[in-house]
Amino acid sequence: MQHVAVPHAQPQQRQFNPYSENGGTILAIAGANFSVIAGDTRQSEGYSIQTRYAPKVFRLTDKAVLATNGFAADGNMFVKKVRQRLEWYRHAHAKDMPLRAIARLIQTMLYARRFFPYYVYNILGGIEEDGSGAVYSFDPVGSYEREACRAAGAASSLVQPFLDNQIYFKNQTPAPGTTHPAHLPLSHVLSLVIDSFTSATERHIEVGDGLEIYVVLAKGSALQGLDAIQGLSELTTTDDGERMFVIRRNLKRD
Amino acid sequence: MFLTRSEYDRGVNTFSPEGRLFQVEYAMEAIKLGSTTVGIRTPNGVVLAVEKRVHSPLLESSSIEKIMEIDVHLGCAMSGLTADARTMIDHARVTAQNHSFTYDEKIKVESVAQAVCDLALRFGESVHDEEAMMSRPFGVALLIAGIDELGPQLYHTDPSGTSIKYDAKAIGSGSEAAQSELQDKWHKQMTLQEAQILTLRVLKQVMEEKLDQHNVQVAQVTAEKGFEILDETSLKSVIELM
Repeated sequence: MQHVAVPHAQPQQRQFNPYSENGGTILAIAGANFSVIAGDTRQSEGYSIQTRYAPKVFRLTDKAVLATNGFAADGNMFVKKVRQRLEWYRHAHAKDMPLRAIARLIQTMLYARRFFPYYVYNILGGIEEDGSGAVYSFDPVGSYEREACRAAGAASSLVQPFLDNQIYFKNQTPAPGTTHPAHLPLSHVLSLVIDSFTSATERHIEVGDGLEIYVVLAKGSALQGLDAIQGLSELTTTDDGERMFVIRRNLKRD
Repeated sequence: MFLTRSEYDRGVNTFSPEGRLFQVEYAMEAIKLGSTTVGIRTPNGVVLAVEKRVHSPLLESSSIEKIMEIDVHLGCAMSGLTADARTMIDHARVTAQNHSFTYDEKIKVESVAQAVCDLALRFGESVHDEEAMMSRPFGVALLIAGIDELGPQLYHTDPSGTSIKYDAKAIGSGSEAAQSELQDKWHKQMTLQEAQILTLRVLKQVMEEKLDQHNVQVAQVTAEKGFEILDETSLKSVIELM
């Protein structure tokens, strides 16, 4: 082996980038006795669409749904790991993990990877032990907060201001003698979700193809007009617990 | 019992031909030498009471600790080699804290009892060529009391790693007499105070010395206040009600 000195060798730089950004948007809204968790199904990288159907919203338990957005491979792996922990918990403690416990678990799982994070924004939706609808949102390293609504992903900067205005009534003054409602009815929330995604599809190239909306209803609550929605199918497994539905819609494919 | 033993009581993990683990059985014997400990479950909470053997007038009775806190909603009383219980309770405390750190909820009483039993069976285990961390079974039994979403509960754990749920349970030297007394007197709708009085009455029957606020310790777990050890003044007032 002989060392050949290359005359005037240029400095070289190499790098390895383990992450990509796969677009798409997710969104969740909590009602008084329900929770709605939605996401589009387009997965892209740059200007290319990898697939028109890659789910980003996952059912975890009878009353918990997790939406992930960011790097799809990390998202899928993370959901797989959360599900494994849920099963271990069920075996160890003879019950399904409550929603707030799942929220805390997700924090500890994300923070455990503080220095090589899952490149994923998570939104957890479902029903709390007291029967109220809940939404928890996370950053990639585990900061989390319970909220009434949250949008994340490619079109979050388009959708979140819309939600702030329509859910939190920001920049709206109530008519004299009235107040803004703390929770909106289910039919109204579903309209907001569908409008959010059709609009995001129009204005953002990474959003489109398909829409999946999960709806979790608290124990014993009425359908609240849900049965009139087209594209609805029920996922409920038990007769006496929370009910879960999914609404599948098409979004523009251009 | 000891007639059939022949060298099979040496190795802690060696079964005798009749299928017995003698070291574990000897550990259970150690509990029968311990001071009497009683636990009673009521709809409003769980009461634990222990006898403190004050064998010298120079002994500071408040330094005998046989009831300890595991978490705000969990307590435990012991009988047998009480020094062994420190390891077990430390494990239970860590398990309870880890649970609330990871899941933001109080651990269930059953889960803590199970965690303690998992530890109880780790004797004689060794990794590669290293010495085993625990050379022998624990010589102590615990009554674990607590409240969770399933209400007040009482568990008994022993050196064989078994945990069983009880409405009322006595362990230690006077346990046989105490258990039959509990069977007579326990009923479903006991108040907390009735339970406190019953534990003391049962202890009084099996104790050699005259029962007073210095030679017994009483604790309770309630939904309102969680785990608390009764101080001498409130203990004295319960004794007066006996």
